[in-house]
Amino acid sequence: MPAVQETIDQVRSIDVDQYKYGFETLIESDKAPKGLNEDIIALISQKKGEPQWMLDWRLEAFARWKTMEEPSWARLHYPEIDFQDVHYYSAPKSMSGPRSLDEVDPEILRTYEKLGIPLKEQEILAGVRKPEEPSRLDEEAGEDATPQRGRVAVDAVFDSVSVATTFKKELQKAGVIFMPISEAIREYPDLVRKYLGSVVPTTDNFYATLNSAVFTDGSFVYVPEGVRCPMELSTYFRINERNTGQFERTLIIADKGAYVSYLEGCTAPQRDENQLHAAVVELIAMDDAEIKYSTVQNWYPGDKDGKGGIYNFVTKRGDCRGARSKISWTQVETGSAITWKYPSCILRGDDSQGEFYSIAVSNGHQQIDSGTKMLHLGKNTTSRIISKGISAGKSNNTYRGQVMAQRRATNARNFTNCDSLLIGNECGAHTVPYIEARNSTARFEHEATTSKISEDQLFYCMQRGIPEEEAIALIVTGFVKDVIQQLPMEFAVEAQKLIGISLEGSVG
Amino acid sequence: MSVTAPSRAFSQAEQSLVDRAAAALMRSAAGNSERQNALSMLKQEGLPSRRTEAWHYTDLRNLLGRVGSAGTGAPAGDADILAPLLPNGHVVEIGAATDVNPLAGVTVQQVDKLPEWKTALNHLDREFDTIRLLSVAFGAKATKIDVAAGETPGGSIELRAEPSASGSHTYAICDVGDEAKAVFVERLSATSAGSLATSVADLKIGDGAEVLWIVDQEKGAGETHLSQFNVTLGKDAKLLLFVLNAGGGLVRSEVHAITEGEGAEIRIRGVNLLKEGQHVDVTTTLNHLVPNTTATETFRNVVTGGQGVFQGMIRVSQDAQKTDAKMACNSLLLSDDGGFSAKPELEIFADDVQCGHGATAGEIDADHLFYLMSRGIPERQARALLVRAFVDEVVEEIDDEPVVEALEARIDRWLEAHG
Repeated sequence: MPAVQETIDQVRSIDVDQYKYGFETLIESDKAPKGLNEDIIALISQKKGEPQWMLDWRLEAFARWKTMEEPSWARLHYPEIDFQDVHYYSAPKSMSGPRSLDEVDPEILRTYEKLGIPLKEQEILAGVRKPEEPSRLDEEAGEDATPQRGRVAVDAVFDSVSVATTFKKELQKAGVIFMPISEAIREYPDLVRKYLGSVVPTTDNFYATLNSAVFTDGSFVYVPEGVRCPMELSTYFRINERNTGQFERTLIIADKGAYVSYLEGCTAPQRDENQLHAAVVELIAMDDAEIKYSTVQNWYPGDKDGKGGIYNFVTKRGDCRGARSKISWTQVETGSAITWKYPSCILRGDDSQGEFYSIAVSNGHQQIDSGTKMLHLGKNTTSRIISKGISAGKSNNTYRGQVMAQRRATNARNFTNCDSLLIGNECGAHTVPYIEARNSTARFEHEATTSKISEDQLFYCMQRGIPEEEAIALIVTGFVKDVIQQLPMEFAVEAQKLIGISLEGSVG
Repeated sequence: MSVTAPSRAFSQAEQSLVDRAAAALMRSAAGNSERQNALSMLKQEGLPSRRTEAWHYTDLRNLLGRVGSAGTGAPAGDADILAPLLPNGHVVEIGAATDVNPLAGVTVQQVDKLPEWKTALNHLDREFDTIRLLSVAFGAKATKIDVAAGETPGGSIELRAEPSASGSHTYAICDVGDEAKAVFVERLSATSAGSLATSVADLKIGDGAEVLWIVDQEKGAGETHLSQFNVTLGKDAKLLLFVLNAGGGLVRSEVHAITEGEGAEIRIRGVNLLKEGQHVDVTTTLNHLVPNTTATETFRNVVTGGQGVFQGMIRVSQDAQKTDAKMACNSLLLSDDGGFSAKPELEIFADDVQCGHGATAGEIDADHLFYLMSRGIPERQARALLVRAFVDEVVEEIDDEPVVEALEARIDRWLEAHG
């Protein structure tokens, strides 16, 4: 049968490089020259109006970074990165501290609109659920459903500067500090100084050290003792300016008995050069505190030939510093050409809990090396790891995780489950767990499986008239449901849609 | 190769090892270029450390030093009077003169030249070259054992090293012909503290052939034993490998299996018994290169002290569709003085496969203990019973009564002494 135009169009429409968010905002930006040296760091520090101690901290990290070597142990292959060929600072020029949304560059607002970023609460609701099904969502929210349900405070990082922050006042009333970290450095220097680098020290690893030297912005959250943060906090990162590495630094502190849920979501415009992203996220949970950190990452993964795409080297670590504290990571990774990311928990406090729920979808030429670390230091600590990897196209998807119980971690418990699904025979799925027990009362269980989508399930769906690609998306959704359930409602819907989009073009 | 300058500053243990190898080469009558090359490589690269992924939990550079350097003193003595592990066992001393009276269907020949150096199984595996390199550098003695096609020898072939105070270095090249059936026992018994021994075995299993290979490692305290077992399986070939580690100071057992023919079946079972002062590492890679092959692997570890390591990799290449591979590693930790690290890896490039692994670590199940104690069994006895049951479960999977009895006897002896 000759290919009719309709078929050609259809094939084109499901091509991997039909990246939905591949547009570029043309606004003037203020950026530092390419390259990295003490002067650039001083410039970043000065642009941010930072105190001297912050600059010293950065310079110390930079001195250290110069002595470090880029790690090569991950199952990732990419051309050498020239760290001197990157702009380390870029800010939209028209931005000189808007007081309200009206002052924000309309171009930026339009970008957000296209992305569906909910700057206003009405838009949030409109963006995430269809009008005919609000009640069902509320039901499912269950015990978490509060009168404020559905409200999200957004701290949007547009390239390197937080453009607008909503809900600030309401949060202030509750005593919650939620602001760009650059502002926090100026307004709450003591708090920042006390906690910054206390989970991920400046000497931690190559990328974290680089971030410490050059980070430009990010979020700062402090939830005081006994406060349950009245809304989900959210931030959207978006790499915009060509050739700018984005180096966010996020610091979240939940004081005794506090609770906070934080959402991070990312999209980036399509472009050809690989872009560098090296973020650091530090979470600190004191006695009885709980932090829930959710991520949806759908940066540009490169085109169908593996050209372009984001390089994502992230250090995320949570410190369950207090007794009975809990930190939960949930991530949906569908984007980036290279992902190097291991959100971890240091279970220091007795009876503390760590959780890691992950969905990693790779298609095209994407490479993912991601997992977690659960370091059991305190007594009666528990952790749970659920990881679902889906590989399609010519991609490689690796789970790499460490579970460790120290000698004094009496009664440490871990359950790990990592399943991989392969779609097509040109991709790879790999599992590399490190299980280290140093205490006889520790109980670790680990299981992993690799398989393909069952022919029976696929046949069942297709027999009922569901096209193959939709059927695969449906089965995959079932495969990852354990993790989707952990996402806040605002993200769950988006995440499911994303997985569908990411797998487009994986059939045949 | 003429470059012999070390690529970096060597640790004391490394330097002492290199010196030992060099001294041994000086003493040997016939210099051979292969050995010279291996020594040069060793002098240049030294030993792997924690940063080498394949040696992540066994930092040879530092551990060797702790286990002791050159061995002195006479061999422990009982090595040469040991009865074969299995009834009808026929002892073959590797490197000794050609066996003129072997089992029917078997030929045993001394070999002067080691098999040609093949750099590992594939390019990823250069990190696994260390043991072979050491073996060549120390001038391993080699024996070739052939089991003729279609033959089933009337007894087991028991491989031993010539007893040596400073440590023996052996290389066994075993070829089991098509449709043959053979049982091999690798007997690694105590010599003297501080000794460093290596053993390499290359086994080729022909189409439709079956091999039961048993490794009985009961080295003495303070001894270092590094071994590598490489096996290739032909069409419909079957391998059952049983590894018992019940001794030694620093022990590394590597197993690398490659399926070359469709329908090949690999079964690996093992028991590691650890006490204070030991470091025992079992590292396996199962390489599925062709379609329709199966592998199952189970290790049970009892840790009363020391450090245990299990690294198990299942690799499925793009062509190896319909691979069915399962791996499990269960550890019983009986004391806070010991630890166990496991790294069960999957590396899958084919989509129509069933692969999985499980790993557990924990103490004796309190419910099981309660069950037995509530029936009047004293705690000590109940614990011993549960430990034995945990271990015997894998031993009993060998469908050969004399073998099961022999292995259980060795295990019981250990459990009585240390359990």
